[in-house]
Amino acid sequence: MPILEEYRLTDRVAIVAGDGTLDSNVFTPYLAEALAEAGARVFVAARSADVMDESVRRANAIGGEAHGILCDHTNEQDVEMVFTEALNRFGRVDILVNNLRTEFGKSFDQVTVDEYETVMGRNVRSVFLMCRAAGTRMMAQGRGRIVNIISGLAERGLWNSAAYCASQGAVLQLTKALALEWGRHNIRVNAIGTGWFSSEELPLEEAQKELLVRFIPLRRKGHPRDIAPALVYLTSDSCDYTTGQPIYIDGGLMAHP
Amino acid sequence: MLDKLSLDGKVVIVTGGGTGLGKAMVQALARAGANVAIAARRRGPIEEVVAEVESLGRKGLAIPTDVSDSRQVEHMVALTLDELGKIDVLINNAGRTAENNPAPIWEVTDEEWRAGIDTNLSGAFYCARAVSKYMVDRGSGKIINVASGFGLRGVRDLYIYTCSKGGMLQLTRTLAMSLGRYGVTANTIVPGFIPTRGTDSFRRSLPGSGDVIPIGRLGQPEDIGPIAVFLASNASDYMNGEMIIMDGGGLAGGYAPTGHAPEIPIV
Repeated sequence: MPILEEYRLTDRVAIVAGDGTLDSNVFTPYLAEALAEAGARVFVAARSADVMDESVRRANAIGGEAHGILCDHTNEQDVEMVFTEALNRFGRVDILVNNLRTEFGKSFDQVTVDEYETVMGRNVRSVFLMCRAAGTRMMAQGRGRIVNIISGLAERGLWNSAAYCASQGAVLQLTKALALEWGRHNIRVNAIGTGWFSSEELPLEEAQKELLVRFIPLRRKGHPRDIAPALVYLTSDSCDYTTGQPIYIDGGLMAHP
Repeated sequence: MLDKLSLDGKVVIVTGGGTGLGKAMVQALARAGANVAIAARRRGPIEEVVAEVESLGRKGLAIPTDVSDSRQVEHMVALTLDELGKIDVLINNAGRTAENNPAPIWEVTDEEWRAGIDTNLSGAFYCARAVSKYMVDRGSGKIINVASGFGLRGVRDLYIYTCSKGGMLQLTRTLAMSLGRYGVTANTIVPGFIPTRGTDSFRRSLPGSGDVIPIGRLGQPEDIGPIAVFLASNASDYMNGEMIIMDGGGLAGGYAPTGHAPEIPIV
């Protein structure tokens, strides 16, 4: 199968950060696998051992070289440890992928300060710490690619989701601002926006009984595999003139009124 | 998962494929395995590109076409089906920029407005219309529109180009909402400042060296190739109604002059 050389990540070193609720956690192993399949060496930094193990397993199974570490991405010392360990093992960090999305739904008048701060901490503070730690190294290397996985709720609202929406909007703005600030250092910062996703493989007819599925112009929920090739492009050298942008892969949701 | 980025055996129509961005897309599509029908007004350039496609071992087909004439568009689609057997992807890239000189609105004539909108927007509509029923009937297909950053932001005295490119984005979204359920998707590529012969006429509004672009350089036609291949391939099957902006960071900013970096301490 002819595949453009431009999509290869040979000898690149990628850190994949994963944390979140069930639906967002399922992405991390597929992201690690896609980068490994394109030729990158992958260092997985996950909050949960299950996510870390599955990510490393998938990346190695496709012929990659992957290692994992457990960490709390909201903790500055932990984040430093992730980069120190990755550099010890692989010598450099070319790519950072943040899949740090803890979903949270609750009537806004009932949301406690603790809940709000937890959501903002695990979704925004974590991305801030990971990007800052990566940017320092990438500026020294003179190149880097950062991709933040976000939700369409970075731009759209949803009942009972104000805190989560605010956190996604914050990461989108972080993406745009860092793209400008680090553009001249040959660092590209982009985001992939998801819609309604599931890793369950339901028969289409069964899935379309759900009102939410019929609302999606493509009439199916996405699967983590649907975003993997876009991630490979955004982390490759050929993604040089695209920066500060979200790419939504959501079956057409964002075109919906 | 990455096998999906191959275009092995796919048939793609690229309008405006003889020069500039269109030519760069054709080259990348063919390297990724596609057979390509190349449509443009002038036969010379598209025959040269066809020869390049054939040198890679793929099929190429030159179809001289003025996309603003819907009969010629119908012929382009029929000929592609006859010669290449199917159409998996349409890339609407043809655009006339030569007549789009910046001018005060009161100096834009009816004729200039119609000619510009006809080629840049109606042409894309005719091409999408001509392949849509075929794609819906076979239950798969991809329509890729090439717009511009000028379709998302205003540009002083540049009415025809900005309006037609803004229209392309809405064409994409409406196709996405309408045809998505039949397995046909539509997406847009939004290039930023990329000097080609076609942009000569409004070069005045282009930055000279890329100084005002966040990453510090102008775009190159080659920058668009991997994006066109991605959107033409099955790797983008769940992407619909969306755009990929490739502009060196321009649209992520645009709130202050490039490099404006205030320092404000917490008091």
